[in-house]
Amino acid sequence: MFVHAGLVLLIMVIAFVVAKWAKVTTELSMAIAALAGALYHTKGIPVRHLVEGSFNYFDVCLIFITATFFMNILKESGAVTFMVRSIVSRFFKHRYLCLLLLTIVMLVPGAITGSGAATVFTVGTLVGTVLTCMGISPNRTAAIIFLCAAMSAAAPPINLWAMMAAAGSNMPYVGFTKPLLVLSVVGKLGAAFILGARGKQVDLESALAELPESPVGMNWLKVGLPFIVLFALVVAGRIWPFSMPIVGLPMMFVLASIAAILVSPHKLRIVEIASTTIHSLIPLVGIMVVVGMLIQIMALSGARGLISLGVVTLPLYVLFFALWFILPVSEGLLQYAVAPLLGVPLILLFNMRGMEPVIALSAMATMWPLGDCLPPTAVVGRATVMELKFKGSYTKDFLKTCLVPIALILLMCTLFIVFSNELAFLVG
Amino acid sequence: MNNRSLFIVKIVAFTLMLVAIVWAGIEFYNHRNFTETVVLGDGVSTVKKLSDYYPGLKDSVNDCNIYIFEGKEPGGTLMVIGGSHPEEPAANLTAELLVETAEVEVGRLIVAIRANRSASTVTRPGDAYPLYYTIPTPWGEKQYRMGDRWTNPLDAWPDPEVYVHYPSKQMLAYMDIRNFNRTWPGYANGTLTERTNFAFMELVRAENVDVFIDLHEAELEYPVISTIVAHQKGTNVAAMTSMMLNATEFKIGMEYSPKSLHGLSHREVGDHSQAVSYLLETPEPLLDRVRGITDEHLLLTGKDPFVQKAGEYGLLYEKIDDDGWPIDVRVGRHASTVLELAQSWSDLNPDRSIRVSNVPRYAEVIENGIGFYFANPANVPSQRLAYE
Repeated sequence: MFVHAGLVLLIMVIAFVVAKWAKVTTELSMAIAALAGALYHTKGIPVRHLVEGSFNYFDVCLIFITATFFMNILKESGAVTFMVRSIVSRFFKHRYLCLLLLTIVMLVPGAITGSGAATVFTVGTLVGTVLTCMGISPNRTAAIIFLCAAMSAAAPPINLWAMMAAAGSNMPYVGFTKPLLVLSVVGKLGAAFILGARGKQVDLESALAELPESPVGMNWLKVGLPFIVLFALVVAGRIWPFSMPIVGLPMMFVLASIAAILVSPHKLRIVEIASTTIHSLIPLVGIMVVVGMLIQIMALSGARGLISLGVVTLPLYVLFFALWFILPVSEGLLQYAVAPLLGVPLILLFNMRGMEPVIALSAMATMWPLGDCLPPTAVVGRATVMELKFKGSYTKDFLKTCLVPIALILLMCTLFIVFSNELAFLVG
Repeated sequence: MNNRSLFIVKIVAFTLMLVAIVWAGIEFYNHRNFTETVVLGDGVSTVKKLSDYYPGLKDSVNDCNIYIFEGKEPGGTLMVIGGSHPEEPAANLTAELLVETAEVEVGRLIVAIRANRSASTVTRPGDAYPLYYTIPTPWGEKQYRMGDRWTNPLDAWPDPEVYVHYPSKQMLAYMDIRNFNRTWPGYANGTLTERTNFAFMELVRAENVDVFIDLHEAELEYPVISTIVAHQKGTNVAAMTSMMLNATEFKIGMEYSPKSLHGLSHREVGDHSQAVSYLLETPEPLLDRVRGITDEHLLLTGKDPFVQKAGEYGLLYEKIDDDGWPIDVRVGRHASTVLELAQSWSDLNPDRSIRVSNVPRYAEVIENGIGFYFANPANVPSQRLAYE
């Protein structure tokens, strides 16, 4: 069985590499890898397994889609522009406070959607404009936007890596809020202040001139109301669990979106926004669908067990010294797919060795998004330089500037893994 | 790629996807609607429906059969349920073994084979379970639905943002609102799973059940394995059972039901009724994450070199060798433990005695195979058949 599972794994890797070499997209390359493994293992096409596997992350996909729709509605209604303009106008004399508040604004889209790209696309350009007006260099501005986006994706409540790895381990996605919040907020603030500490006071005039106008009639109540609806639905389900109908997170985001539409000062083209949302999410949802298929075929053929066994029998110190490198690099290669592929056996190992799995997974789920600036995929990194119209070299300027804060965040996460039991109080 | 080529690619991709969906859809439909035939043994007096105890479940997917055995003499009442987690087949097979073979001398026996029937109509995405498994019998093969741990989302969806257990208000993982062994004692106005638990609690109270046993299986990586988990009302009976089985048949432990962990049968049935509640666990390597090829062979033989290797590294809570954990061994353990619990209960509660006979024990099930005890439905009058 060891040889058979090893061969299945080898065939999948070869199929993936060949497909990528032939310039096939990552998600289709994974589908080809799943199909190749299935063909070898079953000597046919296990249609039921492929379809069943594709539903593995169905709920996660729904949350992802509806949350991104919610953020896009907020962006199109002008709420995001209003927030950024208000912060700059009110706090332009207090540079650090301004930087702090902008960092917090950059936390919201990724935290709600679980996607760093959502942060870049909704607030990246706006915050980038203000940072430039604070005298921060283009290299550092791009690095701050990327790192804040990566950390917002790691922030609770929606961390897709943790959700996918937890689902694969039969482990509830419960208790992650505090550890993820600590890791992502410290990482985000650390990155923003390391790179953005030096500069000048915000040049209010040029900042407001470059930022888009916020729509007439927008105010803090209209910005806050959709979030209040979302928060109220979550809280109501906890306060009155036996009388409140079960709404589910996707529907909560839809209801919050409806609130945002109703209070928008101008008419929104909802079908167009929905269409754009789906179109922009096709690669990411596609990856989640295909990863489900891949995992199912790996479970069927024993390849998943072989990886799990390989990981759980590794000495812990090897992992402590290697994870900081392996996790971001694998994210650059496979994106969200790494969570179930590597995360699940690692959680199993931590569990077996008596470590606190929630803390360890939270730390890993903060390390993964940092790899979103690494080739070959570099989804969030590329989105950042594209949105900011960055003119420097991707590697020599942008990536190099990111290195120090990334190293510090990876160190912090590794320490969280090593001392997971001592930090168990964060799980609550 | 020009527009025409792109259009063709899209049409081909859409067609392939449609074919795959229809193909798989037919398989899912057949699995969901597959019925298992149960031959009623001579001891079965009546077959009721769960909705007889709570009409709110009538005609629902979880309106399962309740098999009642009236003893020749009055005594206590023993209730055994299988299928709480239908991915643990030794549980429903043991329950069926009781239905086909048991005779009650003193007291009464009540059995449910598929306690959460909905969960037996779906398998878990990502885990590649087989849809069915077959048990060899002297007259041919008998086929069963493989299921999942959680109620089918087609019957209960969506899940809440967090699951708040009724009535303790303890917060649990969102998907566990569909976990039949996290929703005890149930809730009349709740989800399908909660209503099913509520119906079972109504049954336990209405039938004045003395001893309630919930059958399960566990992965070898899980610490609660090869054991009897006992409510504090029944620790003496469980201790005596464990002692007797260790001395005569096989090793089995005994654990106290944690008072602060809510939703599980060994806690809530004991807390919310007159019954003493127990949960039995036997090893099932198919559930281990480090397992190798996932198929019916592993499900039935419990042989897996990957799990064995994990054992060599000291990563398991139960031993495994080349013999694995065959289904006959697992069913045999459950059968003997149920019988021994009834015996120990009767020894300590002679006024509520329960005496069950004709059920094969551990060694007999291993020697003959579980299928040996299942009669051919073709040779039985239709009024002695039931369907799950």
